[in-house]
Formats: sequence, structure tokens, C-alpha cells
Amino acid sequence: MGPPLHLVHIKILAADLLSLTVLQTSRPSFLRRGRTVTRAELVGIVVSRDRREKFLRFLIDDGTGCVPCVLWLNHQYLNANVSSELSASDPNAEMALKMSEEVCLGTLLRVRGKIVMYRGAIQIAVRDVVLEKDPNVEVLHWLQCVRLAKECYDLPPPSAPGAT
Amino acid sequence: MVSAGIKPGVPVILRELEPSSEMFKQGASLRVTGILQSYDMDSATAVIKDGSVSLKIDTQNLRDVSFRTNSAYQFIGELQIHADNEAILQARIGRNVDGLDLNLYQSALLIQREQEAKLRSSRRT
Repeated sequence: MGPPLHLVHIKILAADLLSLTVLQTSRPSFLRRGRTVTRAELVGIVVSRDRREKFLRFLIDDGTGCVPCVLWLNHQYLNANVSSELSASDPNAEMALKMSEEVCLGTLLRVRGKIVMYRGAIQIAVRDVVLEKDPNVEVLHWLQCVRLAKECYDLPPPSAPGAT
Repeated sequence: MVSAGIKPGVPVILRELEPSSEMFKQGASLRVTGILQSYDMDSATAVIKDGSVSLKIDTQNLRDVSFRTNSAYQFIGELQIHADNEAILQARIGRNVDGLDLNLYQSALLIQREQEAKLRSSRRT
């Protein structure tokens, strides 16, 4: 029986993330082989970037897929309208601006955030961004994704038949 | 500008890019890695090599990439196939990857492909 995954950032390849099962409840939830996942960690190259006043939108390509990511910048706006969504782990305005400067075309980034739906497509609402200077980091992430899938994420959920 | 139409650059090893390969397709979005052999500033064409296989890269759309021979580079772009099956990658992304363990990269790529194939087959069942 696998441990619950909804409290951690699962290390995942883009192809896997983009093929999650979406449950259209009042707030969409996401299942991977029957297990709820809410947060993800990706490593890939920035292949597209669009900076607007209130947010930065970018695409991360890890070789298996392109994942849309959004980094919110206008925290005054967020606080006024969706304060129930914010938690202590959300970046503040200064942190978000600093992270947005790391997002440049061609850079290798580690991105962590919440899995959300936008206009019918899965995307990541970014919590943090790390510039990875060592190109071997991407290789390590591929191998970690494969190993974790096999040893942890693919295990049956607690309620599944055969789960121990 | 973020576009949902951008396809991922599928990582390939240069020796896999032969005319009989399924990856050798006009317009295929690929990610290639190799050592820079030469760079022609007039035509903005780079030549990268991996082992005994080389590939031309059209770099005219790249910005902020400085080219040094014998350094390792990775490019993402679309494959253009000309007469006599001569191929050139029209790069939209390029980066220096000095320090990348190329042998480990290629081994890990094979493992990652197996995982992707497993994922695709589990979605079909």
C-alpha cells in the first residue's frame, strides 16, 4: 500500500503529469493510478515565456511533454480576491519577482507547485523556481521519476483491493 | 509568448537520426546534444558531433548563446530535411551543457523511454 501523495510534491515527468485523471468536482482533483495528487515537481528547459503585469506564464519542456506554468506576481490582487487559496508556503511578491527573473528561455529549471486546471488543460501554479546550473540534474530527475513511480507512486491506493 | 501549440523536443542521440529512423521526419521537434565542431557566423550554422555522427544546426533564431568549439551544446528545434536526406535542425532553444555526462545522459534516456512506453500502454488498457 502506498503512502498518501496529496501532501507532497511528486517528482513527475511531463507526459505523466499531463495524462493525470481529472475529477470534475467543485474544485478539480487529480488522480494518478487511483491516488490523489495535488502538487508536482518538474525539471526541464524553459521553451516559452510570457510576462504580464500580474503573472508570468512559461512552458517547461522535459523531453516528454511541455507543461504550462504560471507564477503569480500581483500578490495584492491575490490577497484581495482569493485569500482562501493562500497559505504560508505561497511566495510573497518579492520572492515571486526574484523567481521570475530566473525564468529565461533555454534555462534549466526545477519548478514546484500546485496542479491546477486552466481552460481545460493541466498546468502548474508555481510555488518555487530554482535555476539548475548543472545539466546532470535533469538526468537525475528523470531517473528519480522512474524509480519513484515504480517504488512508490504506482503502489495501489489504501482502499484498493489487494492493498496491504 | 506561451503557446499551447509548442511540441516538446524529443531527446534523440545523433546516431539515431538516420533516414530509416522513425525520428527522421520533416518538422519533427527534437532535442539534440553534441560537441560543437564549428560555427559559421555568416550563415549562423553550427555543426555538433556525437561520436562519429554530426548534425548541422541553424542558430539564426537563437539569442544570448555564445558558441565555443569543443564545448557541449543542446538544441531544441525542428528537423528540416533537404535533398539527399541532408538534415539540419532549425533551433529555437540552445544551451551550453558543459559538464553533462553524455554516457549517463544516453543511458538515462533509454530508461526514460521505457517508462514513457509503459505509461502509454497502461493508458490504452
